[in-house]
Amino acid sequence: MYCLTDQEVDFILRDIIDRGIITEDLQYNLLDHICILIEQNLEQGLDFKECYFSVIKTFYKFELSEIEEETRILSSYKHHLVFNKKQFFSLVFGIFIGPFILYNILWIDLNWQSERWDIPREVWGASLAYALWPALIILVIFLTPEKLEPLIPKQSTIIIGIKPFIKIIPNF
Amino acid sequence: MYGYEITQKVKELTSDKIQLTEGALYPTLHALEADKLVTTEVEYIGKRMRKYYRLSQEGKVKTKEKVKEMSNFMESMVSLLDLKPKKS
Repeated sequence: MYCLTDQEVDFILRDIIDRGIITEDLQYNLLDHICILIEQNLEQGLDFKECYFSVIKTFYKFELSEIEEETRILSSYKHHLVFNKKQFFSLVFGIFIGPFILYNILWIDLNWQSERWDIPREVWGASLAYALWPALIILVIFLTPEKLEPLIPKQSTIIIGIKPFIKIIPNF
Repeated sequence: MYGYEITQKVKELTSDKIQLTEGALYPTLHALEADKLVTTEVEYIGKRMRKYYRLSQEGKVKTKEKVKEMSNFMESMVSLLDLKPKKS
């Protein structure tokens, strides 16, 4: 069986790193996998570099760093909350808008028998200040057609965590 | 088993119907190791490092759970797909 030389192994490792594979564990896993495939192909008398470049192409769609990115996303999942678009908006609504609507309804319910029917400014003012902005964001995003929507595509996943705070992955 | 061996085993078991890509395999193995669901052993082949993966005790329990989940899901799908149209 053909066995790659140390120089050839070094060449592959350097190239993997240059292509954006930073995680050491991933570098060595990919290196071993690529070496096995090249050794199998070299038995058929192919040139090393030609063989390497044809093998490495089969590892990605656009670039090798996709594997690094996927590794990081999977590793960070346990520290993040993952939502689809609907869940994300429910969360924003629940935190920023829902409580104020509830507050206003409660106020009306408690005061409907009194003479004052107009909601005082301290009640609606706070609601407007805190809930209007998220409400506008939700309305704009929901009412914008998908093809014109650069912010959150329909088929997307929203990852909320400490680092990054919010990450949106389209077509996940 | 090590990475390449896993891809070959999957191919063999599924008669080439499922081909595990490296882009899917290694990030998953990395995450499983971080979650302590697999244990690893390393073998050096010259300048290369080969990492062997084995299910940990915790991993075996999780696997049983996931297989059961998958089996339930498949049962549901089979019963759904087997539905015959009602005669009017």
